[in-house]
Amino acid sequence: MVLLLGVNFSEQRLVKRALETFYGIGPSVSTRIMARFSIHPTAKIRDLENKHITDLTAELTGMRIENDLRRQLRENITRLRDMGSYRGRRHAMGLPVRGQRTRTQIQTARKLNRIERRG
Amino acid sequence: MLPTRALYARSIWKGPNIVPLPIVRPKPGERVQPIRTQARSATILPNFVGLKFQVHNGKVYHDITVTEDMVGHKLGEFSP
Repeated sequence: MVLLLGVNFSEQRLVKRALETFYGIGPSVSTRIMARFSIHPTAKIRDLENKHITDLTAELTGMRIENDLRRQLRENITRLRDMGSYRGRRHAMGLPVRGQRTRTQIQTARKLNRIERRG
Repeated sequence: MLPTRALYARSIWKGPNIVPLPIVRPKPGERVQPIRTQARSATILPNFVGLKFQVHNGKVYHDITVTEDMVGHKLGEFSP
């Protein structure tokens, strides 16, 4: 078990997949981080040296991920809402924001668009 | 301040969409009429902050007071 940013990862897990469990890190960002610390793309957690782990922890602490990123997202939506702009209204109504049609297929907007957006 | 999506799509060499609006600086102790306009695509510039606009939405004019956050957006975004 290895601790990265307060989360335990099992030994046989791919490092790339482990990084992508954090909100705000996807395939491209994880590839870039691993390339920077010269970790092989198919390396598993048990292959990591201590140096790598401290490097990764330092890098992740400096990034805007998880709750910081979610808070930023909410602040952006709240700003639009407080301004009284059309985009803010559409978020509040749970409808598409960027001019999509609403006759059919607005499940994603219904699920996600709200003032206190979760993710 | 974030530019609007319309600004992302706009060429940089054009700069912001500056529309000549009849802006009068209020003298102290004098009430100014809101600026009535149909130029929904006009970019809100920093010197608009605090001014009152009436922006047409195709049917009626909506009252808008420009705040600092709105700089960089278009007038039409606030008149649905």
